[in-house]
Amino acid sequence: MNTFSRNVLGAAVGAVVLVLGGVAHAADTVKIAVAGPTTGPVAQYGDMQMMGAQMAVEQINAKGGVDGKKLEAVIMDDVCEPKQAVAVANQIVNDKIKYVVGHLCSGSTQPASKLYEEEGILMITPAATNPAITQQGYQMVFRTIGTDDQQGPTAGKYIATTIKPKKLAILHDKQQYGEGIAKEVDKTVKAAGIKPVLFEGVSKGQTDFSALITKMKKEGVDFVYYGGYHPELGLLLRQSREQGFDAKYMGPEGVGNKDISAIAGPASEGLLVTLPADFSTDPANANLVKAFKDKGQDPTGPFVMPSYSAVQIIVDAIQGAKTEDPVKLADYIRKHSFQTPIGKVAFKENGDLKEFEFVIFEWHADATKTPVKQ
Amino acid sequence: MRRALPEALLAAMLTAVLAVPIFGLRIHVDGIDVSLDRTLTPVVVAVVIVFLLRLFQGPLRAVWTRTRPPAAWRNPLADVLRRTRQQPRYRALLWMLLLIAAVIWPFTASRGAVDVMTLALIYVMLGLGLNIVVGFAGLLVLGYAAFYAVGAYTYALLAQHYGLSFWLSLPVAGVLAALTGFLLGLPVLRLRGDYLAIVTLGFGEITRLLLNNLNVLTGGPDGIGNIPRPTLFGLEFGRRASEGNATFHEFFDIDYSGEHAVIFLYLLGLALVVLILFVINRLQRMPLGRAWEALREDEIACRSLGLNPTVIKLSALTLSAAFAGLAGAFFAARQGYINPESFTFIESAMVLAIVVLGGMGSQLGVMLAAIAITALPELAREFNEYRMLAFGLVMVLMMIWRPQGLVPATRPRLELPERAEPTP
Amino acid sequence: MSGSPLLEFIQQTINGLTLGSIYALIAIGYTMVYGIIGMINFAHGEIYMIGAYVGLLVITVLGLFGVDSISLILLATLAVSILVTGSYGWAVERLAYRPLRGSPRLVPLISAIGVSIFLQNYVQLGQGARDVSMQPVLVGGWRFGPEDGFQVYLSYMQVLIALITVVSMTVLTLFISRSRMGRACRACSQDRAMANLLGIDTDRVIALTFVLGAALAAVAGVLVSMYYGLVNPFIGFIAGLKAFTAAVLGGIGSIPGAMLGGVVLGLAESFASAYLRTEYKDVVAFALLIGVLLVRPSGLLGRPDVEKV
Repeated sequence: MNTFSRNVLGAAVGAVVLVLGGVAHAADTVKIAVAGPTTGPVAQYGDMQMMGAQMAVEQINAKGGVDGKKLEAVIMDDVCEPKQAVAVANQIVNDKIKYVVGHLCSGSTQPASKLYEEEGILMITPAATNPAITQQGYQMVFRTIGTDDQQGPTAGKYIATTIKPKKLAILHDKQQYGEGIAKEVDKTVKAAGIKPVLFEGVSKGQTDFSALITKMKKEGVDFVYYGGYHPELGLLLRQSREQGFDAKYMGPEGVGNKDISAIAGPASEGLLVTLPADFSTDPANANLVKAFKDKGQDPTGPFVMPSYSAVQIIVDAIQGAKTEDPVKLADYIRKHSFQTPIGKVAFKENGDLKEFEFVIFEWHADATKTPVKQ
Repeated sequence: MRRALPEALLAAMLTAVLAVPIFGLRIHVDGIDVSLDRTLTPVVVAVVIVFLLRLFQGPLRAVWTRTRPPAAWRNPLADVLRRTRQQPRYRALLWMLLLIAAVIWPFTASRGAVDVMTLALIYVMLGLGLNIVVGFAGLLVLGYAAFYAVGAYTYALLAQHYGLSFWLSLPVAGVLAALTGFLLGLPVLRLRGDYLAIVTLGFGEITRLLLNNLNVLTGGPDGIGNIPRPTLFGLEFGRRASEGNATFHEFFDIDYSGEHAVIFLYLLGLALVVLILFVINRLQRMPLGRAWEALREDEIACRSLGLNPTVIKLSALTLSAAFAGLAGAFFAARQGYINPESFTFIESAMVLAIVVLGGMGSQLGVMLAAIAITALPELAREFNEYRMLAFGLVMVLMMIWRPQGLVPATRPRLELPERAEPTP
Repeated sequence: MSGSPLLEFIQQTINGLTLGSIYALIAIGYTMVYGIIGMINFAHGEIYMIGAYVGLLVITVLGLFGVDSISLILLATLAVSILVTGSYGWAVERLAYRPLRGSPRLVPLISAIGVSIFLQNYVQLGQGARDVSMQPVLVGGWRFGPEDGFQVYLSYMQVLIALITVVSMTVLTLFISRSRMGRACRACSQDRAMANLLGIDTDRVIALTFVLGAALAAVAGVLVSMYYGLVNPFIGFIAGLKAFTAAVLGGIGSIPGAMLGGVVLGLAESFASAYLRTEYKDVVAFALLIGVLLVRPSGLLGRPDVEKV
């Protein structure tokens, strides 16, 4: 690099420092970084996270903020990529932000969490469900969502005790979330004595499942558990019904949203889904739900309320422990329980929620759902 | 002007046809309801702009040629480079200064910036590596991320199963990646240019799919986590050290700061880059480097001169893969967690873009391009949505306006200084 | 309900042929462009994706206006999509490739990769990164087989796809072999410099090639959006890669080769998914590609190339 380019680079870096310095000077706000995908293919889930967090910030500020200081949400985009997540984490450390609500994708949360742990930054993820994140022995990492090894067994038990299929197939999308949960279901049903006839993965983004459906049809499968998200399952459902494959399907919360009825249409009738209990139907949250609807926002997304709750927990902890030090807050959070839109929550030693209930719903073609007796 | 009017109308109509369906009418799906949003303003603006530009194409072009700066002015970079090249000692001094500046810089810069530069250094390594096979030997390889992945997973697995440290795993990663390159090259390198490109593309994809599917070996989509950071003679850079080791900050009796790790990683990356540059420079001046160039220029002439093209291609690919392996191990060490998502075709395409945009065969150009591609999007984070859009656009524009790259390659050579004409 | 292996085989063959038809339609675009200017048009997959989006858009618009007739919907969608997508094909050639004619091989390739990334993100900005879905327009089909056993299902849409593919291929083949412009295309792909000397406007021929390829990709896109009912900005990449594999498999530069390659690939994927594991269907596709290239680089129907000095 010669002098010319070196000067350019130096100027660029200088600009970065100046900008960041400017940001860091607003020291009488309490900043919470909200890290997740705001662009890219899973941005719709990131939107839920941002929505929940921002509503929490607004409402808390309307009530006077945090001990008189204003709360500020700093949104950072990690595009659901580990590389970007690490860069975002470093940026957060750089900006001396002490609390993070994020990330969203398990693959992003894992490397970022290591950094937060080392730097003593409090992290609460409202959406990453891979169990490995809280198995690293970290002190600063918490979750306001269930994990795959809570959701999987719920489904597995239901299949084993209520459905009792003759031939069970378990499918997944070869991604961290989908395959993780499929493996949990597999473990649970095997422990109950049911052996799936098929355990296979499809590709993310696959649109043609005809060969797989034909295979299942030939095997005489009568129940299918799918670990993954709604785009693939929606197509699976639709193509299954077209081919005359009538097995019942079940999926995790990644499929339980309106879009699956848009894709599968009438084929989505009768789909079983495990979801966090629908917090938006909880009467205690009626005002909050109204607040969202007034802004034209949809509070039923699975990550909205957990995200809101994460912010609230941080604020409640600051006010309760009378300190802003993240390490002390982490301690405080571990020892206390909090009243949040997702219910009364308390945390285990490793940062997971002590209880997180997954409820089984039956999905309908008009995108509504009804709970099923478990 | 008369002639321009129908052309301009046609261009405007074409713009409308292109923009309205994709940009103007947006399909909005809300559960089971489908509706159409209309955003026609940007479309109208675009149509009008295109119409006007086409209409006044003639006069605009005249203005452009008249006010364009003279040719010699336009590229101060090339001028400075040309002057320095003519004096090897001056050039060596410049590189020295550059190196010193690069070493001192992280201590004065913000942590975020150093971290971004470390990522840039990884792409520099990848770019330099790919440059050997694409730039020097002229072979189009589209699956470079496969070797990158081999290096990363080698270190991750060695650390996970055998507890090997980074320093021990690094050469192993390089060797394994080189071996992969060699084994791929044996059957494949006799194929002609485009076919080679396709096969390497297929190989890259197969590697990624296998990494994703072979859960028992590679952790599948979960990837491998808890990859340890490199240590400095056994000193770890964490807040607390693991069993039996000391930490860096305790050893030197200073306060713990996360910056130490970041700076250390940066310096380590810098060292790897210098190593790679050194190796390549030496090789370039050896018969092997000349052979690469001969191959690129004309394979058949090469063969008729008695050089075995397959051996030359193999050497280029193997070495190139080795460097990718080193970069991969370093990447795994930096991130602490890897999964197959980091080794997609887009990664290969980006590294290829770095090599071509920098100037094939030119190491300085490749380094500049790598830093630009990594650092610039970080500076403009608010425009993240447009980041990839701009990237694609820049790629096309660079090819149209300056296909030889930022810094066109020159062969290492010695030029006799200018001398006054001897008087008869 | 378990079924006879023969019926299952028939069903998987139907699945494979349907998939293969789509690949074939897209593959032709790759092969024609390569045949005439020796360039791998990386952006072709995105052209197909745009065709699918436009198809979805037209069907949505027609649906909002309450149009019911299947044939009208089909014709209108095909017509509009071919027009718009063809325009995109033309524009991309004119703006991103023509200025680079004559450059070393890597330069237009990088430009193509740039165009591909640009188009993908452009559509993302315009239509969002989320999936856009649509209820199927044409439902129903025939069932064969024992009433209580495994029944083979052949949907109307699948027949339509096969039909339209065959018609498109026939029209294209007739055009290339019988018409004047078609002759010019063939001449240009054999020896462009000579064709130029003989007075053929090579620029126009090349532009036409791109437009034809884009038109077929548009047909594939419309069929896909009607058949699967799901599009997003990323379908172009996967389909493009597969279709490209098909083109190479059949012999790049050869149009019948592209058709054959598409069908072979579709069948291979279906059978791999059925008789092996679904995870490996993509691996099989790429392995097939590499295998063919190693054993017979010119592909199934291509002419072995002799490099002259």
